[in-house]
Parts: sequence; structure tokens; C-alpha cells
Amino acid sequence: TPTPSAASGTPTPPSRRLLGSAFLQEFRNWETPWAMEAMHMVALEIRLLAEKADRELVMSGKNPDKLQAAGSFLMKVFGALAVKGPKRVGALYVTCQLFKIYFRLGTVNLCRSVIRSIETARNFDFEDFPVKDKVTYMYYTGRLEVFNENFLVADQKLTYALMHCNPQSESNLRKILKFLIPVKLSIGVLPRRTLLEKYNLLEYADIVTSLRRGDLRLLKQALDRHEDQLLKCGVYLVLEKLELQVYRRLVKKIHIIQREKEPSKAHQIKLEVLVKTLQWLGITMDVDEVECIMACLIYKNLIKGYFAHKSKVLVLSKQDPFPKLNGKPV
Amino acid sequence: MGLTNASHSHVPYSSSLQHGYNPAEYANYYYNYPQATNSCSVQQGGANQHSGAAYQPLTSFQNSGSYVDPTSNTYYNAGGHQTAPGYATTNYYYQTDTRNDGSSGNNYAQSYQNYPSSDTNAAQSSSTVPANSFSYQQQYNQWPYYYNHSVPTPAGNPVAGSSNIDNTVVNTTSGYSYPSTEPPPPGTTPWKSNSSASVAPPVQAPSVPEPQNQYVQQAQLTPGFQNQYAYQAPGVPMSQNYYANQAPAYPQNNMNVNQVPLNNHGDQQKSGSLTTGIFSSENKTQIPTIPRIAPGFSMVIPKSEKKTVGADLAKKPAYVSVSVPKNDVKAVQHGSDARSLPFSLRNYATRNLSRCKDEAQRAACQSMIQQITSKAISNGTLLTKNWDTEPLIPLPENLLTMTETSSANNSSSLPNSTPRRRLKSRWEPVPEEKVTEKVEPLAKPLMNGNTHNNLKAQNRMGDSWNLGKSLQSPHAPSNKITHRLSKKQKMGSYSSVVQNGDNSSDSDKEKDLTKYYANASALANSPEEKKRREHRSKRFEKSKDSSSKSRNSAVNKGAVAHIHTRRPISALVTGSYKDGSSLAVEDMDWDALTVKGTCQEIEKRYLRLTSAPDPSTVRPEHVLEKALSMVETSQKNYLYKCDQLKSIRQDLTVQRIQNELTVKVYETHARLALQAGDLAEFNQCQSQLKRLYREGNNGCYFEFSAYNLLCVMLHSNNKRDLLSSMASLSKEAKQDGAVKHALAVHAAVSSGNYVIFFKLYKQGPNLNSCLMDLYVERMRFEAIKCMSRSYRPTVPVGYVAQVLGFLPNGDDRSEECEIWLKAHGAVLSVDNGGELQIDTKASSSTLFMPEPENAVAHGDASLAVNDFFART
Repeated sequence: TPTPSAASGTPTPPSRRLLGSAFLQEFRNWETPWAMEAMHMVALEIRLLAEKADRELVMSGKNPDKLQAAGSFLMKVFGALAVKGPKRVGALYVTCQLFKIYFRLGTVNLCRSVIRSIETARNFDFEDFPVKDKVTYMYYTGRLEVFNENFLVADQKLTYALMHCNPQSESNLRKILKFLIPVKLSIGVLPRRTLLEKYNLLEYADIVTSLRRGDLRLLKQALDRHEDQLLKCGVYLVLEKLELQVYRRLVKKIHIIQREKEPSKAHQIKLEVLVKTLQWLGITMDVDEVECIMACLIYKNLIKGYFAHKSKVLVLSKQDPFPKLNGKPV
Repeated sequence: MGLTNASHSHVPYSSSLQHGYNPAEYANYYYNYPQATNSCSVQQGGANQHSGAAYQPLTSFQNSGSYVDPTSNTYYNAGGHQTAPGYATTNYYYQTDTRNDGSSGNNYAQSYQNYPSSDTNAAQSSSTVPANSFSYQQQYNQWPYYYNHSVPTPAGNPVAGSSNIDNTVVNTTSGYSYPSTEPPPPGTTPWKSNSSASVAPPVQAPSVPEPQNQYVQQAQLTPGFQNQYAYQAPGVPMSQNYYANQAPAYPQNNMNVNQVPLNNHGDQQKSGSLTTGIFSSENKTQIPTIPRIAPGFSMVIPKSEKKTVGADLAKKPAYVSVSVPKNDVKAVQHGSDARSLPFSLRNYATRNLSRCKDEAQRAACQSMIQQITSKAISNGTLLTKNWDTEPLIPLPENLLTMTETSSANNSSSLPNSTPRRRLKSRWEPVPEEKVTEKVEPLAKPLMNGNTHNNLKAQNRMGDSWNLGKSLQSPHAPSNKITHRLSKKQKMGSYSSVVQNGDNSSDSDKEKDLTKYYANASALANSPEEKKRREHRSKRFEKSKDSSSKSRNSAVNKGAVAHIHTRRPISALVTGSYKDGSSLAVEDMDWDALTVKGTCQEIEKRYLRLTSAPDPSTVRPEHVLEKALSMVETSQKNYLYKCDQLKSIRQDLTVQRIQNELTVKVYETHARLALQAGDLAEFNQCQSQLKRLYREGNNGCYFEFSAYNLLCVMLHSNNKRDLLSSMASLSKEAKQDGAVKHALAVHAAVSSGNYVIFFKLYKQGPNLNSCLMDLYVERMRFEAIKCMSRSYRPTVPVGYVAQVLGFLPNGDDRSEECEIWLKAHGAVLSVDNGGELQIDTKASSSTLFMPEPENAVAHGDASLAVNDFFART
């Protein structure tokens, strides 16, 4: 059926899809994957055209549903490729196209079925897929894990993507780092400033600084300043959780200063000191709130020790009171 | 036989053109419209209206036609050719429209409107525009002509005497076209059965060798289509068939045009009066037949055209030359088509045919295949379609039930890429599907002589035009058509199906008619439609005073009258749906179900609708307002209020009321649900509210944004949802107290700061605390786990009670807390000072989350049995 976008003169996704389905039909029947590149091109074109058509539909105030339709077509293509045999090599490319569609549509839960069929396949080693597809795949699945706050897996996937990504393609590296840095931060790995500068990721610079200094005020400012951007790319919640790490850093600093002054009582930090410090940072919190934060730090294994309610003192463990995260998420 | 082929060969020819023409038509339409006022005939039209003489404009138009060299209107000018039919329909429909209103003056005004435009166009001698004007001409002329032929069969109309020998021949062949409009005469039934194979060829056959024949046929066919428009829904698709037939006849129309001028020549006024005379006399003769065909709709226009018929008949000269080459071309094209059929398609055809039980089915099936093939060709899917997996054509089981109307049905289903697409509906009742299926196979025979496939695009145009126009005031802007296409098609298919069900008797037909009009009028009652119409009538009101533009006022009156006539009809819709029409739920025009409530009772129990709403049980808006305030002030329990609010919501929905009241009702319900902890109901309201706010209805947007945030973070716990909810907040929203509170709650929850959480819990604005309520238990348990892990050696219960938001009970607030702690497995001890303490070390391993005491099997404690009894 002709579509409204026909007026613009661009070939419409439905007609492309007719072509695509015809090609897919034939492709299924071919034993060898000789037309893989063409198939991939069809998939790519359909996605790009659907995106374009949707933009036009939005501009003319209509319901943009083309990309969704393109998604269901590519799902069929995926079905044709994710089979035993030589065609499977091409399946990951289509998977990545699907990811792109789903991420754009915000229907990332649809990724799950595709991921399952890629990852549970026993007859095909993931490493046998083309590198470029593997990188894209790892990037998107890594992002999914960020959403799920599965930081260890996210770190692993995004690191894989970073290591295998073409070092020439800086924009891709930047995209990966955009998600990898928050993930690394949350497991206690801080990037160098030069890295942030090189890839123009300075929105993280203040956050990293605040983590280094235990400067809670700076963290809040940084989050406020980049809130829209961070919300949009979906790492805001991850960065927000760094708050506890900043508190920990602050306690650690106090501990270090006390140790210099009075080594014997260094492991006992009075609650009023903490409250005063926070006040100095411009953050007004009452004693109960700070006490609660200390309790949380201990509860979440960021600090070893205990809190004595009666004396309002945080008692740090004498051995390794601030255990390294060592890749463990908070 | 070559002729039947010819029709198919048409396919490629125009299929490529389909697209461009719709815009062209619109353009033309607009082009003409403004010109109408300029043209010389305007004054005449005005005069006519006052005198009541309709025909002045027509004659003037004919004269103009004569200026144009008829040969310039070549058939091969596809643009002209295709535009013309669409145009004709539109104009025609204007007339139908007004006719329904019963004001004959309207007709004249409208027909006159068309003429001026054609006049000017003709003067400019553009190649396409003349074609348009001719088509008008053609149709007007043909109307009466048709009557001459068709009426004699059953009724013996005196006018029939004027028909020549050709007429009789044609009459029989074209008989399949008119039964739908005429009460089926005894002679018609055989045609139906034959039609599958034999009818179509004869129709076209005469056109090739004999110019006169073709002309006659042409004349007859067009009226047939017009008739259908006028009386029956299926007429819409039907018209397409006739377009095809008309196409070859254009040249001949030109002839007519020429001849009419000859008669009238210089003196328009004279001819005008002449025609008037004829018109009135014919009116008398015709009126008796009309009520029978379509009671309630007066048939003023067709009669008036009769006068020209005589003239037309006399002038059938040699325009044949144009149409003959065309046929040849078609034949050639068809040959190439046949050769290029893919093997899989031929298999598909064989499979289908092998299922047929008798000849009739076979013929029907064959024609269906042809139709599908040509459609595939025109779609370009001939080679791409997987014919091996294509579903087989449903067998026509009862050929007799398939009348000529099936062609209408067929063409209405054509716009879908597959005829069976509609059947996908999972809601559609199974037996009713059969009706549609049955109809399809026969469609082809009827279209045999026609190029229905090529005309698909036009088909839609015709559809939309006709329906659109017939429902709207005559001046409906054409540019909206594309947007409404789908709806129109649905309408078309619906009505055709309805018609197909029973056209055996007059009364049945009447019913169909009513159904169709009810449907159509309901469509016209949709809010946008109303808005447009209002806009239009306002436009006319401005010029109403000026008598020089009396046509406008006439039109306006017509439009108003039309609106009024629609009202009662829309009530019938309910009935027609209950009758079990075979319309899929998705295809149903929900506008048609919009009711206007009449119930005055404030209190109403909620009952989920299982049928179309009955206006007498639906409360209108002002009553609903009272009902809402009644609920707000009611002292009864939540279940009663929920029930009442649901019934209010239902009444709002069926009446399609979406305004501040709707927002208020949903907000009220959402708040009550929150207070009662009914999260399911709250979510329903919340999702409706989101939509209502998005559509620009004012309400407590910030308050409900806050609820939404809390709901997402505390209950669905989906990070992505939370992110998008937060990202969608505007700067202003973030400044709002309730939203700020919600965001603070989020921060507290994400860092696990129970102290802040319970502080916020105590000071929550609006009903934020109610939402937090549902999270309190979890937060407390999390807190106590945290405390027992981080505090050593003990922590006083009093302190825990304070930070965990336990309410003070007298002067000892810890009592409730103590109970709670014990219920969760905390180990308590009394210290030296007599203060109750939690032994944190011991507690850390013994804490547990108890099963909620008030848990019920169905998961909703608020639906307790006692409450249930309390409801009644």
C-alpha cells in the first residue's frame, strides 16, 4: 500500500520491505551465504529509510510507525540468518541493526529474545562473528546491562567493545567510553583527565574530581549541570549512586587527618565532626541523617567498622577500614 | 472475448499513473472552485434558483463545452481521463447530498457551481480540464438516459419509447449494473447467475465495432453508478467499474456536448426555460418510482437531466474512432501479461480452480484469480509475492446471494493489498466472515469488462469523495480526503457487506439504506468532522446575506438540514450493529457508536458494557458533573465511590467527552484509589491522565507527575521507566513542590537513606505519602537490616521508632515499633537504664520479612467479603 511519505519522493519502507521480503525469500533458499552483503545492505537500508520516514511523519504530525515495522521485518531477516550453517555469520549484523531500532524506539526489552538466541547457541562460537559486529553487539548489550545496573557484566561487555573497536574511529570509542566510564566509576575505577579530554567527555570531569576529593558539593553541582544530558543517555542513575562513594572518600580523608593528629584515636570519628564537615561543604544535614549515611556505608561494605549510637561515634576497623571496591559494585 | 481481455490489459496502463492523480484532482477541484464566482453563469444560476429552474446552469455549461474541440479530449491523455471520473463523482455527489436534504433548490445551486468552473476551464482550453467538464456533462446526460432504459423493464416508463434498438441490447447486458438500484425485476435474477462469465464481454463488445452502441452503453452504465451512489452504500465501489466503462466513451460525450449546444445554440436563457419545462414534467413522472427505490430521498436531479437525453440520443455520430485504438492497445497489453505470469502463480490458480465444485464457482474463482493477478501486477508484487503460500480463494458457496453488489464489496476491499486482510480480526465473528468471503469471488465477473485494478487509486478517490461529500456539506474541502481515506474505505466495505446480506426486497433495501446512512451520518458526526462542518457553514453564513451569492445560502441551508437529518439516523446505528453486521471490530467506525446520553439519574452502577451503549442509560455531561460532586461528598466507602466513578468514566468514554471534566473525574478517582491503596485502579487512571494531559487538557499536571515518579521508582522499580519519567519533566515541573518531593524521595531511596525517606514521608504534599505508604514496609525492613548490621552493640527502640516514622501512641511511640520489630524477628533487650534496645548482633541473623497478615487469596485485601456485602 502506498504511504503518505510517498509524496516526498523517497521510496517508502513498505515498498522496500516488499523488495526486502522478496529478497529474503530467495535468500532463504540459497544454500551458501554468497549474498550476505546484499542482505545486510537491505537490512541497513530498510532501517535508515524507516528512520527517515518516521522523521517525516513526525514533522507532518502523523504517527511514526515505520521504524517499528522495519523492526519486525528485520526480525524475519534475523530468523533467516540465525540458523545452523554458514549463514549464521551474518546474523550478528542484523542483530545490531535490531538493537539500533529498539534503542531508538525505546523498546529495549525486545532485545532480550535476540540476545538469547545469539548467546545460547552452542553450535556457533561468538568469536567467529565478524569483529565489527561483535563490537557493536557488545556495546549495545553493555548498555542494556547499565540499565539493569549490572555493572560487572556491563563493564566486561563495554571493555570488550573498547578493546576490539577500531582505534581509528574515535567517535565509536567515545560512544563506548560514555557508558564505560560511569560503569567503571561505580566499581571504583577512576579515569585520567587526559582520557576525558581526548574523547571530549568532560561532563564526567567534575564527577571524577568529586570522587577524588570527597567533595559532595561538587558532585551535586555536576549532576545538576548535566542532568538533562545524563538522563537522556541513561547514566544519571548510575552517577547518582556515586554519592556514597564520595561520602566514603570524605570519611577517609577525615580519618587520614585524624591519624596525623592523634594516631591513637584515629579510628574513632565523631559524628559531630562529620556534620561539621558537611556544613562546611554547604550541605546541611542533621545528626540523624548523617548517622544514617554512616550506617549505610557500613551496611554496604564501603566502610569496615560499626556505629556506636550511644556515643554517636563511628568506629572504624583497625584493619583496612576502607576496603577497595576491586571491581565490586556498591 | 478480446474485450474482456482488453479490460485486464488496462491494468499496467493506468496502474503506474494511479498515484499522481489524486493530487491532480484536488488541485483541479480547488482550481475550479474559486473560479465559479467569476464565471458568467453565476448570475444565471442565481436567477435560476429564484425561479426554481434548475437547468439553466446545465445548458450554459453545455454551450461552453461546445467551444472546445471534442477531438482534443483524447483518451490517451491519461491525466484527463482519470481526473474526469473523479470529478464527475464529486459533483454528482454534491447533488445526492442536497437531494437528501430534500431541498431541490440546493441541487441547482450545486450543479450550477460546477458549471462555471468548467466554463472557465474550457475557455482556457487546457487539455485536462475540458475532460472534466465533459464528464459532468456526461453524467448529467446519462442519468435520464439510464432511467429510460432501466425503468421500462419493470415499470414500463413512457420515456423508454425513445430508446433505439441498441438500447435493448445494452439493457440486457448492463442489467447487472442496475438491479442494485432498481427493485430487482423478474428478469434480473438470471443475469446474476450468468454474470460471472457472460455478462461482461457483451457490455464492451458493442463498444468496439459500433460507436452508437457504445454510447448507449455508456449512458446506461454511468447512471447505474450514479444510482448506486444515491441509494446504496455499495454504489461507492461500483462506481469504479463504471469509470472504466466510461473511459472509452469520453469522445462520445464530447459529441453530446456539441450537440446540446447545437440545440441551444446562442440563447441560453431560452434553453434554460425549455429545460425547466421538461424537467417539471418529468419530475411528475419520476416521483412515484423514487420512493420505492429509496424512500426518504427525493430524486430531483436525475429527472431534470432527462431533457437532455433526447438530444443526446439523436447525436451519436462518429466518435468511435478514438475508442477503438484503445481497445487494441489493451488487447496487446493483455497478451504480454499472460505470458509473464510466473509459474507459481499458475499453480496457485490451478489449486484454486481444482477446489471448485461446479461451473459457476469455477467461473467466479477464475475471475477472482484474474483479479488478484492484475492487482499483483499493478502493485508490482506479481513476481515478488509468494504464490505458493498465498491463501486460497474462499469458495463461493452460494452464488445466488452474490449479486452485483459484490463488485462493490470487491472494489472496496481492493485498496487493501490483499482482499483477505480484513479477516485477520480476531474479534470478528466467524460466521460473518463468510459473507465477505462469499462476496469476493463474484466480484470479478462484474468487473470483467472493467479496469478495476488500474482504477484502484481512483477507486479510493471515488470512495472518499462520495462518502465524504455525501456526508458533509457540499463544499467540503477536498484536501482532507487523504487523511480520511482509510475510514472511508471501511465505510464502503461495511455498507457493501450490509447490502450484500439482503437485497431481495425493497424493504430490505430500505433497511440497507438506512444503515448506510446511519453509518455515514455517524461518521459525519465525529468531532473533527463537526468542526470542519461548522467551520464551513460559518464561512457561508458570512455571505448568506448577499443575494448575489444565493447559491451559497442554499448550500448552507442544505448543510444545516443535513446535520439535522443525521441526528435521528445516528441512533439507528446501534441497531444496525446489533443486527450482526460483518464488520470487524477494527474496521468499525467507533464514531458511529458515540452516543448522546439522556439519562438524568445521578447515581448509576457500573456495568461493563457488552453491547452498544443505550443512550437512555448514559448520562449527559451536566448530569455527570453532578454525579462527580455527589461522589466527592459521599460518605460511603471506597468501593461504592469506585463503582460510581467507573460508571462516570464509562459514560464519558461512550460519549467521547474528553475535557476538563474527564480530567477531573480521573483525578478524583486516582486520588481516591491512592487513599484506598488501590494501585491497580490508580494505574488505570494515571495512564488515562497521562494521555489527557498530553492532549492538552488542563489538570493537576504537576501533582500527577509526582505520583507518576513515585509510582515508577517505588513500585515498578524499572530504571528505564524512571529515567524517561525524569527526563520528561520540564524545568517548571522540577520547581513544583510535589515533584521536588518526589525527586527527593528518589534520592533517599537510591542511597538507602531511611531517615530522609521517613522525614519526607511525614511531610509529603498531596497524596505523595499515600504512594510512599506502599513502600514503607519495605523501607523499614531494609532500614532495620542496615541498622542491625552497622550499629553495635545496641540501638534503642525509641530511636528506631523515631527515624522509621512510627506514629507516637500516647507518650510512648515505641510501642507500635516494638510490635513491628518483634514481628520481623528482631531481638530486643532491656538495658541498665530500663530502655528497650535492639540487640543488633543477634538481630542481624534473625530478621525476616513476615507474610503480610492481611493477605487474601485473590491478592486484593480491599475486596474483603464484608466490603462486598456492604456494597449493596
